[in-house]
Amino acid sequence: MEARKLFRKILLSAAVFGLMASGEASAAGNKLVLDGSTTVGPIAKAFAAQFTKTNGVEVTVSESGSGNGAKSLINGTCDIADMSRPMKDAELSAAKIKGVNPVKNIVALDGLAMIVHPSNRVRNLSRAQIRGIYTGAYTNWSQIGGPNAPIVMIQRESNSGTQDAFKELVLKDGDTVSSRAETQASNGAVKSRVATTPTAIGFVGLGFAGRSVKSVAVDGVLPSAGAVRNGSYPLHRQLYMYTNGQPAGNVKKFVDMPKSPIGKRIISETGFVNYY
Amino acid sequence: MNLGTRKLLDRSFTALGISSIVIMGLMLLVVLVPIVSNGIGAIVFKSTIEHRKMLYHEFNRGDKADLQREIASSDASRKEIYRMLDTFDAELSKMDETRQQEYREKFEQVKNSLRALLGPIPGDEEPALARLKYGQTRWEKAEEKLHELLFEKKWDYSNPDEMAKEYEVSRSASFEGTSLVRLFPYVEKNIDRLLQPEWTFYWGFITDSSVDAHFFGGIWPEIQGTLFLAVGAMLFAFPLGVIGAIYFTEYARDGFLTSLLRSANSTLAGVPSIVFGLFGLTFFINTLKVSESKSVLAGSLTLAIMILPTIIRSSEEAILAVPKTYKEASLGLGSTKWNTIIKVILPAALPGILTGGVLSLGRAAGETAPIIFTAAVSVGSAIGLADVLSSPTPALSWNIYNLASEHEAAAEIRHVQYGMVLALMTIVTLLNMSAIVLRARISKKLKG
Repeated sequence: MEARKLFRKILLSAAVFGLMASGEASAAGNKLVLDGSTTVGPIAKAFAAQFTKTNGVEVTVSESGSGNGAKSLINGTCDIADMSRPMKDAELSAAKIKGVNPVKNIVALDGLAMIVHPSNRVRNLSRAQIRGIYTGAYTNWSQIGGPNAPIVMIQRESNSGTQDAFKELVLKDGDTVSSRAETQASNGAVKSRVATTPTAIGFVGLGFAGRSVKSVAVDGVLPSAGAVRNGSYPLHRQLYMYTNGQPAGNVKKFVDMPKSPIGKRIISETGFVNYY
Repeated sequence: MNLGTRKLLDRSFTALGISSIVIMGLMLLVVLVPIVSNGIGAIVFKSTIEHRKMLYHEFNRGDKADLQREIASSDASRKEIYRMLDTFDAELSKMDETRQQEYREKFEQVKNSLRALLGPIPGDEEPALARLKYGQTRWEKAEEKLHELLFEKKWDYSNPDEMAKEYEVSRSASFEGTSLVRLFPYVEKNIDRLLQPEWTFYWGFITDSSVDAHFFGGIWPEIQGTLFLAVGAMLFAFPLGVIGAIYFTEYARDGFLTSLLRSANSTLAGVPSIVFGLFGLTFFINTLKVSESKSVLAGSLTLAIMILPTIIRSSEEAILAVPKTYKEASLGLGSTKWNTIIKVILPAALPGILTGGVLSLGRAAGETAPIIFTAAVSVGSAIGLADVLSSPTPALSWNIYNLASEHEAAAEIRHVQYGMVLALMTIVTLLNMSAIVLRARISKKLKG
């Protein structure tokens, strides 16, 4: 039968394909899975490359947001959860029910940079002004010393640790972000939106504030590694890698990287601030 | 209707038809031309000496003697630059406090622009990240960086009511009267010798793994991940789909249950793909625990469910299209029903079934939403076949999105993103073309 020959051909080519792929099979079980924050992403990805190089352990990194990282750790689908905020009570109790014991490991310090388009003359904003912008009290840049143009505010999605950190550091209890605020799903997306929109304002992790956007001073202090480290920049926070139980083995080696000289180099080269 | 009106209507309809086809062709051109030209730019481009250094150090590729000769000739020109920096540094320390402060910051900007263009300045600490170890590897990027070195971007904030306008200031003008002023024309004049550009065919873009989160290197792990996911989805969906179609066409009696099943199948085909993604996460990973983490297996299963309705539908159509006489002849010769299905109906329907299958394979390769939560990661190395049951993988569709939005230096590595888009389109096109060829060949064999 012709058809049977064809099936045989298909099977054969599948087998050849499989053989080709298995040529570079790695040691199974010898791997680390990271999930979570897009803010911690650049550090995690650079650590992963370094870790694979020195320890021969394969590391995969997903950037799906702090909330997702926490969920993955609770469901046992990742080894390390990158988070740009501490775990919430609800997450901790959910973890307890599932028998997971989240342990907080500090990776680095980060400042929330308030970014605007470089063509915007505003150089400094007080925390009260930022709060006013995001709660909808100010709708035009001219109300806070800028040009006569409506403000486009960019926020992050509810899953974001950066969004939670922003709310905690800038907003007061009972405040809600104005419904006019536009939502973007990652630090990179916020940055590119602000870089292409002259009237926009947004907030990103310190490592993302590049040259295409302008960071404004908050309460008179410009965000910088030094200002975050000594605490003079008001919008600062810690970045974490959560593990299930006290880290051991490869997981311990990985979360201890921020303490090593090479880890410190990577953190400062990606634009974040060393904690250790 | 009189003949004149009919002719007129007929012609205008023809014109409408032709113009819509022309518009479609133009749209296709508008979409395809930038994708193809930019995508090819990821593989064929004018590379600098930094690219060859990177290849040698990260992939151990290239001729050592050649490279060293090039480095020597480039370093001869670079030395002059670094000497100028040192001279200015000495000059700076002799200036009075206020002038020193004025120049210190500008000097730092110049040094950073030079680092971006040529890599670390001698005396710098060896960087940990590969992106800082090398200067610009691509000539067109190097030209951008050269411009940034020669001109400072400034904003004119003089009108308080309006958005500022951009203008550029020559950096050599702002160092007027110092020794550093010679640096800028020197770099501009010698840029060819400093970076030694030459046209390169970088096939490694397809076969290499990425270095430092896609800053350098290639996209092999993504390509492989895409193939694994698509083929895996087919392994699950194709047999199930064909069996389902046989059931629907040969065994199921028309009744309430069958029509319910059929409409359920059609509904499933219309479900948005992100719903399949979330379903895959909760069902395959969290409930069934097919793997510890995201994995190719979980992703393939999710994709399989997504393409199952299409495969069932197309197989059903193919089976129904087999002439009734085939079946009647087979049964009339005393063959059993099962035998008839296996030996007569399926082979005759095979071209149609395979076409549907391969088209679904293309869809599985291109989908992003179902694999976000079930299989895809932003960085990871190429996995072997032994790891598909437990390891997640990067995949083209997801990494295109990742590079477009989440990556910290998305604007710096657009060429990688375009390269991935072209690779994905090529894979899908090849799959679709193979469907056409396969169909033609089988039909020919069956006729012959």
